[in-house]
Amino acid sequence: MLILSETAVNKPKAFMRFAVILSLFFIIGVAVPSLFPKQFPFLHSLSVDTDPENMLSHDEPVRVFHNERKQEYSLYDMIVVGVVNKTNPNGVFNTQSLNDIYTLGEYAREISWNNDNGENQGVIEAEMIAPSNVDNIEQAGLGTVRFEWLMKTPPKTEAEAKAIYDKASHIPFLDNTLVSGDGKAMALYIPITSKDISYKVAQQLKDKIASFGDPQDEYHITGLPIAQDTFGVEMFIQMAVSAPMAMLLIFLLMWYFFKSVKLIISPMIVAMVSVIVTMGALVMTGNTVHIMSSMIPVFIMPIAVLDAVHILSDFFDVYPRYKDRKKALTHVMEELSKPMLFTSLTTAAGFGSLAFTPIPPVQVFGIFIAFGVLMAWLFTVTLVPAYIMLMSEKSLEGFGMAHQEDEEHPSSMLAKILHATGRFTYARAKLVLLVMMVLIGISGYGISKIQINDNPVKWFTEKHDIRVADKELNERFAGTYMAYLELSPAQNLHEAFGKKLSQSLEGKGKEAENFAKAIPTIGTDITAIKDYIYAQQDAAENDDTYYAWDDIATLVDNTYGEFEVFKQPEMLRYVEKLQSDLLRTGLVGKSNALPDVVKTVHRELFLGNEKAFRIPDTQNAVAQTLITYQNSHRPNDLWHFTTPNYDKTVLWIQLKSGDNKDMNKVVSAVQTFFDNTPPPIALEHNWFGLTYINTVWQDKMVSGMLEAFMGSFIIVLVMMTFLFRSLAWGILSMVPLTVTIAFIYGIIGLIGKDYDMPVAVLSSLSLGLAVDYAIHFLARSREASKKYGTWSETIKAVFGEPARAIARNVIVIGVGFTPLLFAPLVPYKTVGFFISAILLFAGIATLLILPALMTVFEKILFKRKDA
Amino acid sequence: MKKALLTFAALVALSAPAMAMDVSEIVNKANHTAYYQGEDGRSRVKMEITDKQGRKRTRDFVILRKDVGNKDKEQKFYVYFNRPADVNKTVFMVWKHVGQDDDRWMYLPALDLVKRIAASDERTSFVGSDYFYEDVSGRNPIEDNHELIETTDNYYIVKSTPKDSSLVEFSYYKNYIHKTSFIPVKTEFYDKRDQLYRVSTAEAVETIQGHPTVVKASIKDLKSGSQTVMTHSGSEYDIGLPDDIFTERYLRQPPMEYIKR
Repeated sequence: MLILSETAVNKPKAFMRFAVILSLFFIIGVAVPSLFPKQFPFLHSLSVDTDPENMLSHDEPVRVFHNERKQEYSLYDMIVVGVVNKTNPNGVFNTQSLNDIYTLGEYAREISWNNDNGENQGVIEAEMIAPSNVDNIEQAGLGTVRFEWLMKTPPKTEAEAKAIYDKASHIPFLDNTLVSGDGKAMALYIPITSKDISYKVAQQLKDKIASFGDPQDEYHITGLPIAQDTFGVEMFIQMAVSAPMAMLLIFLLMWYFFKSVKLIISPMIVAMVSVIVTMGALVMTGNTVHIMSSMIPVFIMPIAVLDAVHILSDFFDVYPRYKDRKKALTHVMEELSKPMLFTSLTTAAGFGSLAFTPIPPVQVFGIFIAFGVLMAWLFTVTLVPAYIMLMSEKSLEGFGMAHQEDEEHPSSMLAKILHATGRFTYARAKLVLLVMMVLIGISGYGISKIQINDNPVKWFTEKHDIRVADKELNERFAGTYMAYLELSPAQNLHEAFGKKLSQSLEGKGKEAENFAKAIPTIGTDITAIKDYIYAQQDAAENDDTYYAWDDIATLVDNTYGEFEVFKQPEMLRYVEKLQSDLLRTGLVGKSNALPDVVKTVHRELFLGNEKAFRIPDTQNAVAQTLITYQNSHRPNDLWHFTTPNYDKTVLWIQLKSGDNKDMNKVVSAVQTFFDNTPPPIALEHNWFGLTYINTVWQDKMVSGMLEAFMGSFIIVLVMMTFLFRSLAWGILSMVPLTVTIAFIYGIIGLIGKDYDMPVAVLSSLSLGLAVDYAIHFLARSREASKKYGTWSETIKAVFGEPARAIARNVIVIGVGFTPLLFAPLVPYKTVGFFISAILLFAGIATLLILPALMTVFEKILFKRKDA
Repeated sequence: MKKALLTFAALVALSAPAMAMDVSEIVNKANHTAYYQGEDGRSRVKMEITDKQGRKRTRDFVILRKDVGNKDKEQKFYVYFNRPADVNKTVFMVWKHVGQDDDRWMYLPALDLVKRIAASDERTSFVGSDYFYEDVSGRNPIEDNHELIETTDNYYIVKSTPKDSSLVEFSYYKNYIHKTSFIPVKTEFYDKRDQLYRVSTAEAVETIQGHPTVVKASIKDLKSGSQTVMTHSGSEYDIGLPDDIFTERYLRQPPMEYIKR
């Protein structure tokens, strides 16, 4: 590896030119297709992906199921517009507010346009839930039932306005969904053709709302699609703000340490080129910029300057001795090339281990950081020496410590502290180790308290519009977090139907017998059977044959009825029981399901009598209730809850919290219900909906990250053992980071911070970085021990220049991540805070624990030397 | 001279309603052909609803119809459901009026319940299909303003705009009326954005007892992607339906001799 640096020292200009050309290649490669996508369709342009669903790969079974069912039950991604009026005693149920809401609703249903491909995009009018296009069913005079639009025109009097609330709150489907339980607010649900148009639609809605000019009404626009689009915007802010800030901070720190702007330009070049190459490669290979990959620049930057800081730090100390660039560089590179290679390899291995997690965005993040780290190493060992060679000797005059630091009587503050640390750990080695053991004990307890939980809406800070809307709406309505539970018979009913049908056809006349024979070729699909019978009827030569087939059709239908399981009263009552069980969890605000539709219509058929708010007693009565419902304006709403074959049903479950832990509780409550309450017909149940999907990728994240961590731990241990040619030294090098990670996770458990997505990735992230200090410390200690012999002498030397390099590094990299704290999104803040904490703590652990251990176990570790 | 001019102006003024008469004649003839042929009628209907996903639902029923008088105004309908089997014997009955809301009843045998359905809005779904009540019983021509916008070799193309747009979801519809048979072959409904969203089509016509009769018709909802096809069989005219079967009493006791014959 030294050869690379030597070549660079000899041909500095060539290397600089190479770096410039490489950077330009990637910049152009990304910019051209992004700016002119039409002219360069074969190149990948920069594309942002903010969909949390993509935490799972596209062919993940739960996701495939989710999308299939969404289509089957015509469920769409929705924008939610909440309207709250806190001043009027009737809330929004006054003429002015309802007039505005009406205007907004009518406006929203007309939002549509054709995209470039001529496809219609926009609001799906037929599925919108707004007061002007949902149905009200009610009594209209004696023995008369009426279907009417809930709010066909805006109310003219306050009494009419109030009546809108009374009507809607009487319909279970609308109560606590369209109108709030407290009678003050209303929510409109606006389904859209695809998530990526939500920003455009929301913008149009906002413009419309702005034209109302009624300061009393508060409008909250939320819903997952909005959250995602906003996320995309904030992601760019993060990249645009955090990355340059990290750059600036690192620059300032290095300037403070090395006092030479000219010199520290080189690590900045290394960082810049590494980021450009890595991000360029990311985009050009067709990967999207996701919440994870958007952090790549901020990660690469501090890591990229790490090695350069070692080179400069060493050069800074060594140069005054040689007063010759080439000689000083040779000295530095000889000393550092091996530890630098290894620290880069371990960092790359740590991040690379993320490739084995089952979460695609985390994989991409890990792989490209690993790639970036290796690029940074390559540029560090070549460009930094090349840059130094391009500087004139003159400009280096007065550079570095004016004199060889008197290691016995250090002058700088940092040097003084480090010397004292060295003396302390040597003298109080056992105390240091005791404290370490106590910390590990406490950490173990803390880790046992860790609570696994996540919630993508909480990725926004508390004051963010989306969080405010989320809070406001979940306080007033049954919950904005939607999960769906599908129930379907555990056994395939087709076979049973076929058998039953053949039996019932026996002895029913000539046509029936002919039909029974034909069943094996027709199959048991009800549509195919009906088509067959219709064809026979069309071909019938006389009325007798026609009606013979008519009787068969009725027989088929009757037989099939038994398999339309969710028309059966006992099954609907079972679903009803499940619904009330869900409410008992205290986490579910409301569930909408087929029994609610049946009960509501049944009640209105019987004069609106509350006693009739029940499931009727026969299947035919259920069917006739449902056919009455289908005489409304929105008959197809039924197919949100079941299929036209009634062989499956879906419960819409509204949760007030999107926390995964709450969703998990609901999931296990449902499991318990099924275990304890067997259904009349054996059922299987399957969840879908984004709130549920989040829990799936969380589970994968937790187990996946643990595996990735274990994997990279072993890989790094093997690398260390190989590097030091000793298992004892290998294990020793793993101690500081192990203690650090245990300590940080212990704290997370103790303070009750949720173990969420960013926290999960931290372990693997920090492993590869934290081991660097140990490598440098141990490698330099070993080198020094050859010269000084005894450990007591060696430690003094090690706490000179090597310790200073490590300390400078700890500070640069620890501070380098802090700009993430200023990012607008919580996961970035979390990563920024904990990564800085881990790195600072790992640095301290390295400088305290390692020497203490080496003091105590000197004989084992240095036995070969002694021998 | 001045007088002559005035006369000319009067002539022009008079000729305008004369041209409007033309349109209304076309519309009235079409209305007659679609709903009022013969004194009464009967037809077996298979209704097949196919949604966007290709899922099918069927309803089999018999329609009995009797006109009140021969002015193409009042009418009575009796719709008896055979299948789905679980709605067997369910009946819908309509007394169609002109100038006032229709009367509608339904009988649900499993609940042993006769209900009146408020008919203030006739543009609700007919038993979950893409047909509205109004499509089954006919929209009264006096509710719209009609305009003959084009005459082709085969069709009069009439644009009809509702007099009270708050009662309907369309802003206008275009009717393609066959010139000789006066069968409305195609009706296109346009929404407030002037976009076509609903199409009603006569798919097959047969001459029965001298009356050109639509025996297969469909309505397609372009917004939901759903389509309903109605296939008629055994259509008959002038079968001498007694008046009293169109009464509440017969909802529970269907006149089987007319339903199944």
